[in-house]
Amino acid sequence: MDISFILVNAVVVACIYGLVAVAISITWSSLGLINLGYGFVFSFAGFGAYLFDRMVSDSPILVASAGILTGAVGGLIICLLVFIPLHDKPNFTTRGMIATLAISLIGSQALLMHFGPRPKNLPELFGYWQVKLGDVVVTSDKIGVVVCSIVMLAVVVFWMRGSRRGLEIRAMMMNPHAASIVGIGVRSTGFYVMAMTGAMAGLAAVLLSQTYYIGPFSGITPLIKGVSIALLGGLGSVQGAVIAAVILGFTEALTSRFLGGQYVLMTQFLLIITILIIRPRGISGLLDKAREQ
Amino acid sequence: MAEILNVKGLSAGYGPLRVLHDLDLVINSGERVGIVGLNGHGKTTLFYAIAGLTGWQRGSIMLDGKQIGRTRSQGPGRYTHRIVRQGLAIMPQGDEIFNGLSVEEHLDSGAFTSESWRTRKERKERVLDIFEPLRKLMKTPVGRLSGGERRMVSIGRGLMTDAKLYLADEPSLGLAPKIGLSVMEALLSIELEDSAMLIAEQNVALLEQRVDRVIGMHAGKLKGEASAASRQSLAL
Repeated sequence: MDISFILVNAVVVACIYGLVAVAISITWSSLGLINLGYGFVFSFAGFGAYLFDRMVSDSPILVASAGILTGAVGGLIICLLVFIPLHDKPNFTTRGMIATLAISLIGSQALLMHFGPRPKNLPELFGYWQVKLGDVVVTSDKIGVVVCSIVMLAVVVFWMRGSRRGLEIRAMMMNPHAASIVGIGVRSTGFYVMAMTGAMAGLAAVLLSQTYYIGPFSGITPLIKGVSIALLGGLGSVQGAVIAAVILGFTEALTSRFLGGQYVLMTQFLLIITILIIRPRGISGLLDKAREQ
Repeated sequence: MAEILNVKGLSAGYGPLRVLHDLDLVINSGERVGIVGLNGHGKTTLFYAIAGLTGWQRGSIMLDGKQIGRTRSQGPGRYTHRIVRQGLAIMPQGDEIFNGLSVEEHLDSGAFTSESWRTRKERKERVLDIFEPLRKLMKTPVGRLSGGERRMVSIGRGLMTDAKLYLADEPSLGLAPKIGLSVMEALLSIELEDSAMLIAEQNVALLEQRVDRVIGMHAGKLKGEASAASRQSLAL
């Protein structure tokens, strides 16, 4: 009973943080921007879904899409404020990181000013039912989280492989200079990337609100986890991020079960440090030679 | 005969370095022009300046009657995609390719106007007719191809859309002579109709008798102009 419960929790956690990590990874490899603004996008999308639920409709699908849409809008805000003005200036990587961190902090404070510190709840989007898998009872919200994030990830991967915009994004991931030669605009591609990754963060926010709550600072932990997963998986690699998300999800679940919740960050960072010492470019960063400039 | 490219007083360079000195160049439609010169005399920089990829530049560049040159001091590549969309196909020197994409995706990425994207199947067929060896490599990542095959991919990519001006930068560079010759032959067999082609090359023999005229390039200036038949008059 215990072990299977841990497994379920690990998978749920891995799904939510994995979404953020894949978003960070894609942004970095295609735009060269380490976007720390997802902390803000995350809370922003959570409040977007909350407001929609209070004011317009509480239909689960509409609330979730409202969260995804506000997430995409949040991504576009970061694109307009940071990527467009900074992307061709010297030291873009460092500047972009600082600017997005600033947006994350300022944005969270603005949300705090407007909505106050009291946590908000979203309705149960997936209803109340349970499934018995062997000897463990899985509640509806967990199944919903796993299914939704896998569907979102599949849609993103499929879109990146199949569509013309996806082809442009992948081309820019591999060789930004050659991409401009074949007529791919850095700025317009930036908009697509930021909207898409923002939508991913938005979905993650809606999903996390099913187990936790929505607050102005609820995006900070997913951001930290997302960045560490993206680093561990090798920045720029989607499959690496997925593998790393599963590994860190299991460490988190195992640690909180056997050592206690307060040790979660410690074991996670120890694990990340160990893996990065052995593989400095992350789990699947070896074959990924993109962005070596 | 319409003017495809009209360059006036073009200077360009990188940082404090000035590579091109007040160039003038006119290319008419249907023309195939060779630019011959040694390494480091500005052939690639001329192409980059036309595409807006140099560090800075000034002077007028008219592509098919539209001004694409501007006085710029920074931000190379910022307007390149717009210039390219106005009808410029660049077949860059060396490996400006996307290692992880397959040959097919590569050719698709060259079809960036919506009109050429819709007709990309026929266009790919046309490119494959020219570069027959690529046909069985369509699903292979480009990073695994040989040098000659990569060059075919990068030239084929340039042919995927209807450009006004094709810029081929040293298509035979670094290839075995036989393969270089076949790549060059393929390039010369492309029907230009109302577009034009500019080929940079170090090896005059490859261009001789095959292009409409040859221009020499020396120390950032265009020197002497000759029809390909009379190599003696080249001021190299």
